[in-house]
Amino acid sequence: MAYLSNEFVTIDAVLTRKGRELLARNDGSFRITQFALADDEIDYTLYNPNHPSGSAYYGQAIVNMPLLEAFPQTQQSMKYKLITLPRGTNLLPILNIGYPSISLPQGASLALKPQTLNYLGGTTVEPSGYTATISDIRVLNNFEGVGVNTPAVTALNITNQTTTIGTSVSKTVVGTVINMTATTVNTLFNAASQLSATLTVVGNDSGARVTVPVTITKS
Amino acid sequence: MSYRRLEADDFVVSSEAISSTCWTTNAPQLTTFFTSSTQANGSSGTYYLNIFDSATTSSVQFAIAYGNAAGSGSAVYNTAVNGLSPTSTIFGQWQDLVIGDENTNFVFGNITSSEFFALPIERACYKDSIFLGSLTLNLSGTLGSIKLTDNSSLYSTNGLAVQFNEAGRVFQLVSGSAGVINTSVNANGYSLASGSYGWLLPDIGTIILNPLALSGSLVSGGIGFRWSGSNATGSAAYTPATNANFSMFQAISGSTGFTLNSQETITSDFIFVRPRSSEFNYSENPSFISGSTGAVLYPQFINNPQVYITTIGLYNDTNQLLAVAKLSRPLTKDFTKEALVRVKLDF
Repeated sequence: MAYLSNEFVTIDAVLTRKGRELLARNDGSFRITQFALADDEIDYTLYNPNHPSGSAYYGQAIVNMPLLEAFPQTQQSMKYKLITLPRGTNLLPILNIGYPSISLPQGASLALKPQTLNYLGGTTVEPSGYTATISDIRVLNNFEGVGVNTPAVTALNITNQTTTIGTSVSKTVVGTVINMTATTVNTLFNAASQLSATLTVVGNDSGARVTVPVTITKS
Repeated sequence: MSYRRLEADDFVVSSEAISSTCWTTNAPQLTTFFTSSTQANGSSGTYYLNIFDSATTSSVQFAIAYGNAAGSGSAVYNTAVNGLSPTSTIFGQWQDLVIGDENTNFVFGNITSSEFFALPIERACYKDSIFLGSLTLNLSGTLGSIKLTDNSSLYSTNGLAVQFNEAGRVFQLVSGSAGVINTSVNANGYSLASGSYGWLLPDIGTIILNPLALSGSLVSGGIGFRWSGSNATGSAAYTPATNANFSMFQAISGSTGFTLNSQETITSDFIFVRPRSSEFNYSENPSFISGSTGAVLYPQFINNPQVYITTIGLYNDTNQLLAVAKLSRPLTKDFTKEALVRVKLDF
């Protein structure tokens, strides 16, 4: 992974692994309709509101920093989204899925009910639901989102995305509740006693995001 | 909200033709030519020779395949059946591909020929098509050397209608270089009595050479090219070192080089991303937040937040990240700033 030259402002764009997968599927799911912005790599503690040269220099340590090229792995990009909130907001949305990590024995099920704090005036469930992505769908027998019934979400949730055999393919679902059941396939474990993946949950309205490790233990 | 829908006028599709050298050396002219003894002595060697740019790499640049309607120039498949040999197979293959009629021979300029050398360029080298006017093929024979190019300049300057056959556009190979026709022997660049030197078929990345035009004397526009085919010993003893393909390889490798450019049309999708002044002014970055309560890091950020755009994500309707773009340096965003970023996706 190389640094981008920052002598001029340029854009380095790549298709993500998911984008290539959907493009190859050729079913119309590769259709760009919206954008989001993120500030990955920025450390706001470098912002200095006490800079002796004045406010024009508060962000001096940030604006000239070199940035890395784009990562094609979906889970490594757009980690920290910029969000639109009313001016004067002093508390930012925080996503809580109730678990710092998920550990399931083979065949066990779990229903995740994400909640967003500091958002929508006391309502903790976002109307557009949550997008949940498991990095390797093979570790789960069932992974579904329920509670959001727009046509696009319904189409996404019923799509069989596990047709690629032998490779780790992610699966994304949308819902207000995310149901998952650990795999019962013994042969996936080989000699290991555990399978690992990551689960990323993003609030579709707030942009709040959390990633937790998922571990499946062989029975 | 963290996603913003793109409007119809945020998308612009553009096609742009890009030309570059054909060769994997990235040099305009290929000056060294190598064959592979493994390929030449293998089963495919009786049909064609692969030509490499170096003895140490495996980058095929083009191939040489001699075709002869009568099967001359290589050993017959079965001595009980005359006329069926690798060269007749090659002839039929290209006749089908280029002419589309098994009863019609190749007509180079005004001369009908039942034999040719095909130089199919490696697909990865010529990309979409051969760039017209870029060809300079140097060939050396027993009497001298010649430079060949295509006569596409006549079509652009004289307004002539481009000819087509089953392989797409057809241009005559003529004496000259880089699209400039040499008229010293014949006003149209052809040989004196054997027609043009062949065809350039840009849409299938192939050069068809007319060996008869090359075999003549210098004054008639030839170079005394000799090969094991109808002009030599027919289907006599065949070995890779003396077959017609190797004769053409020697004519090319003994010359000063081969210049050819490729052409590729790249279709780009331009997406204009326009965050408005009131949008995207707060961040979910953990360093933007102080502690676990979600409070912003600095009091100044409550009314005058300042964030730095580093990444643009392009999503489908179900929030799946399809493409990601990185800025080369952070772009400041606050309630007083709007941004317009053009993201280009090439297909």
